[in-house]
Amino acid sequence: MAIRTYEVMYIVNPETEGDKIEKLNDAVGKLIEKEGGEVVRMDNVGIRTLAYPIQKKTEGHYVLFEINGTGQEILELERRMRVNDLIMRYVTVRVDEDRKAADKRSAKREAKAAKRAKFRPTGESTEVSAEA
Amino acid sequence: MADKDIEMMDDRGGLGVGEDVIGDRPRRYQRRRPRQIVPDYVDWKDVDYLRQFVPERGKIMPRRISGISAKDQRRIATAIKRARSMAMLPFVAD
Repeated sequence: MAIRTYEVMYIVNPETEGDKIEKLNDAVGKLIEKEGGEVVRMDNVGIRTLAYPIQKKTEGHYVLFEINGTGQEILELERRMRVNDLIMRYVTVRVDEDRKAADKRSAKREAKAAKRAKFRPTGESTEVSAEA
Repeated sequence: MADKDIEMMDDRGGLGVGEDVIGDRPRRYQRRRPRQIVPDYVDWKDVDYLRQFVPERGKIMPRRISGISAKDQRRIATAIKRARSMAMLPFVAD
């Protein structure tokens, strides 16, 4: 039962009223919670200009969610997003692996830097640095 | 003597990894840009950062121009494609 982290972003029709969008976001959050997931972060980005028209519109209302879960919630969420007319486009990205790898890389880099700093010759010491 | 040898190797131009671009003969040109350091995690939502790899036409900048490593190029490319699908970056720009 690994915990996976997903980023879900969707674009809502910009002409919808603000409170409808609020309700939609709340419904999404509740759906996630109901299916056993956990909403880590919710970012109601707002209206942005699109790089190309979607459904003839040049702007869109962006919403971003970060979700911890098993994947079942995502399945259900995507099903609903597909049906919903307000949501023009959505994308789900799985980010836990990438972040883990990135963290490992930074940790390795920091460890190397720390080791290097320790081995700085102090002048009198005869320590020879063992770096490759 | 050793110095001259090293100098000649640097003169190869283009990629320091020693790979040549397909098609072209090993052209002697100066490296266009110093090698960029790409952060560990490339965020596909970070449009401002990604834009440096997307010139005017909207195409993804080739590695021999941007000078980043192969692994980083793949990651940047995936991030750009994701951003494109969410209309944060254009597919074609005029």
